[in-house]
Amino acid sequence: MSKSLATVNPCSMCMPMGSVLVFRGIEGCMPLFHGSQGCSTYMRLYLAHHFREPVDIASSALSEKGAVYGGAANLKQGLKNVINGYHPKVIGIATTCLAETIGDDVPQIVREFQAEEPLAKDVTIISVSTPSYAASHEVGYRVALKGLVQTMARKSKQSGRINVLVGAIISPADVRYLRRLLDDWGLGYILMPDISETLDAPLCQDPPLIPAGGTPLDDIRDTANSKATLTIGGWVQEPGAGDYLEREFEVPHIALPLPLGQEFTDRLAANLEELTGISMPESYEQERGRLLDTMVDAHKILADVKTAVYGDTEMVLGITRIMTELGMRPQIVASGAANPAFAEKAKELAPGSKVMMGADFSQIAEEASSRDIELMVGPFTGRGIARKEKIPLLRVGLPNHDRYGASHQLLLGYEGSMYLVEEMANALLEGRERGSA
Amino acid sequence: MIVKIFEGREGHIQQKGDGLPLACNNESLAGAVSQRACVYSGARVVLNPITDALHLVHGPIGCASYTWDIRGSTSSGPDLYRNSFSTDMKELDVVFGGEKKLAEDLRELADRYHPPAIFVYSTCIVGIIGDDLQSICRRASEELCIPILPVKSEGFRGNKNEGYKAACNALNELIGTRNYAPRHPSINLLGEYNVAGDLWFVKPFFQEMGIEVVAALTGDARVAEIQRAHTAQLNLVQCSGSMTYLAKKMEEKYGIPYRRISFFGLQDMSNALSTVAEFFASPERKRKAEELILRETAQVMPQIEAYRAKVAGKKAAIYMGGAAKAVSLVRAFQEMGMEVVIIGTQTGDRDDYQKIACIVKDGTVIIDDANPLELKELLFKQKADLLVAGVKERFLAYKMGIAFCDFNHDRTMNFEGYVGMVNFAREVSITINSPVWQLPVKRTSRIGSASQLSITTGSENYVQEPCHS
Repeated sequence: MSKSLATVNPCSMCMPMGSVLVFRGIEGCMPLFHGSQGCSTYMRLYLAHHFREPVDIASSALSEKGAVYGGAANLKQGLKNVINGYHPKVIGIATTCLAETIGDDVPQIVREFQAEEPLAKDVTIISVSTPSYAASHEVGYRVALKGLVQTMARKSKQSGRINVLVGAIISPADVRYLRRLLDDWGLGYILMPDISETLDAPLCQDPPLIPAGGTPLDDIRDTANSKATLTIGGWVQEPGAGDYLEREFEVPHIALPLPLGQEFTDRLAANLEELTGISMPESYEQERGRLLDTMVDAHKILADVKTAVYGDTEMVLGITRIMTELGMRPQIVASGAANPAFAEKAKELAPGSKVMMGADFSQIAEEASSRDIELMVGPFTGRGIARKEKIPLLRVGLPNHDRYGASHQLLLGYEGSMYLVEEMANALLEGRERGSA
Repeated sequence: MIVKIFEGREGHIQQKGDGLPLACNNESLAGAVSQRACVYSGARVVLNPITDALHLVHGPIGCASYTWDIRGSTSSGPDLYRNSFSTDMKELDVVFGGEKKLAEDLRELADRYHPPAIFVYSTCIVGIIGDDLQSICRRASEELCIPILPVKSEGFRGNKNEGYKAACNALNELIGTRNYAPRHPSINLLGEYNVAGDLWFVKPFFQEMGIEVVAALTGDARVAEIQRAHTAQLNLVQCSGSMTYLAKKMEEKYGIPYRRISFFGLQDMSNALSTVAEFFASPERKRKAEELILRETAQVMPQIEAYRAKVAGKKAAIYMGGAAKAVSLVRAFQEMGMEVVIIGTQTGDRDDYQKIACIVKDGTVIIDDANPLELKELLFKQKADLLVAGVKERFLAYKMGIAFCDFNHDRTMNFEGYVGMVNFAREVSITINSPVWQLPVKRTSRIGSASQLSITTGSENYVQEPCHS
């Protein structure tokens, strides 16, 4: 296949985007991009489309002058205005390609600001380096998560709690599910980041300046004192927050795939049992049984169905696994992220499939047209292919701009997996009835 | 001053009667969460609707990802513009320069997609590392025998207005490169982007009047149409913020006069038709225009009256990218018997705001380059029932319990022409009058109010939350 030199219809976003999804999951946190005004506006728009929520991201609004003489003055003014306007507890600064290329030393600028500005006294400022040209949004997410614990985690008294790090971008409904699972398990935990409320807020008419919810700051500080860290959706990611906590504070780290399908959810359950000595609550055994029952119900309609799965690495791997558990046949397993560990795992999970990393949709389209794909599963950005090839598309993950419900799409755990099985089956049935996508 | 949140924003917000001029057209304040995007975005929204062109973004992937198929501009044919092409610059390209990659990408894309023209947009880092877009595009153009137009749109080099200019400069290079002789009196439609098929509700009227539309810039446009736009006799400029610059250039270069018009609202649409009829000054054409205006107005009036009855007296807030749309909206709301209490734009200039100040009532808030905190407070203080704006503002309004109408470039409903005004009236009415606003935000609990243990049957315990309506 001819690999195009140019990228045609991207299957990934840029690093600062990932950082927002971490910062937005922290209590009282306001994200700020150090760069030109457009970056924050574009990503606000992109996320507003997906979550159907207002998403405020500040910008240092670098101009020509800043680009030539350095952006320190703009960044300091931006920080000051954010503090005055939003009264945040935390400001998460992510750099953009502009700030990185002109060579601004952001940590130094922040130190100066903290020394000069009395307003900075009560605000934690975290800065992460996220130049758009370096990697995808997934890496931006990981870097921001690591930046948070690096800046904030402090050793004190052992808490006996478990750090549950959300290592991949999942929906607010998924985060709520994890929270409920951990609550029901009856264990002490720190869940981070937590976008379950911040990016899916109830109607209230007088919304707070920064959405309520998010991981409490004391919890982030306390991650150094937990007895273990589980990174959920950290299977193929480079070392991040969990590894840092293990290295610095000797908190053992276990990286798990996203709990999608029977095996991967069992794996999460087994780890929780081992760490806590508490058995999985009976209601989840029931749920597990219902998942299996649903998989049995749907096994024939889904048998041998040729699929294309694409999107974020961890999500794609989880969905690929549940597909193989059902006897489906993933033909294309693709991610926009250039992540060799992803490619390796994908090959193990779906031998014989075409595994693509660093892919764009022109490449996926080329493969899809020659492989008789019957079902596509991934973000809405695959809709062009679905339309052209008349393949049913089940929208999962970020971005989903053309359907309702992205925030409420539950995919994780036995329960979410059960819905996913049903939705895949229904998408196929509807496609057949309509004779097209 | 009605709201005061950020130091340095004082001059940008006032109430009519405070005394002009309003501060405008400068850089956005750092940290204020401006609703504006960047130079690149300005250029991209102007050029992207050209349906058969290839739009290549020279920069890291984000700039291309976030603008992929972002406009609601529709096509009657080609759909190359709905793809997103990027040189996807990586670290090494930033270090060693992206010129070589750009040249190779151009060759490859031209070979693969055979576009009639390619626009190459520069992004922030291209401006920093100093890739020479001009000469790469020139060389590639000679080699590949198609126009390849650099668009100088480094994000940080000013605000969105600079992007409009960069786009107009690229269009200016393209115009005049193809011969053509219009068969009828002829016009171009500048600043008409065919969002949600708007153009198709307007163009037939001109045809009916015996007027040929040579090119729409840039809604549903083909490269070839733009190349022969210089052969038209008159330019109608709708989105004046983005296209007046080009209209002036075409006037200088080709002697084509221009007129500012709008196709939105009954009055403005009719004025646009009259303007053209008057320009071409044949009695027959004038009669045709009058006939057409009467016929079309009569056809939609009953529906508009019906919606007007449902929304008259309500208060509207307007926050638009460009000033021309904002001005048109004021008139449209007058047609619907509604009052405008807030009006703002991202990119208005001094003239725009003066014009706005002339047509709104005393006490109306006029705001330049707003942000969510200011909008929120203003919507509350001015007791707006409806906000007309874009997606970023939609959820702010909804969260506050305020009705919302999308009038941005990603809307999916046609609003121009006579039928468009009916659609708009309906949109305004269904959102203002939706029963969802009547649902109590807080439920009345049966627990806690100790004295009331008896079971209530009706709605006597219904606590109606204020929803500013």
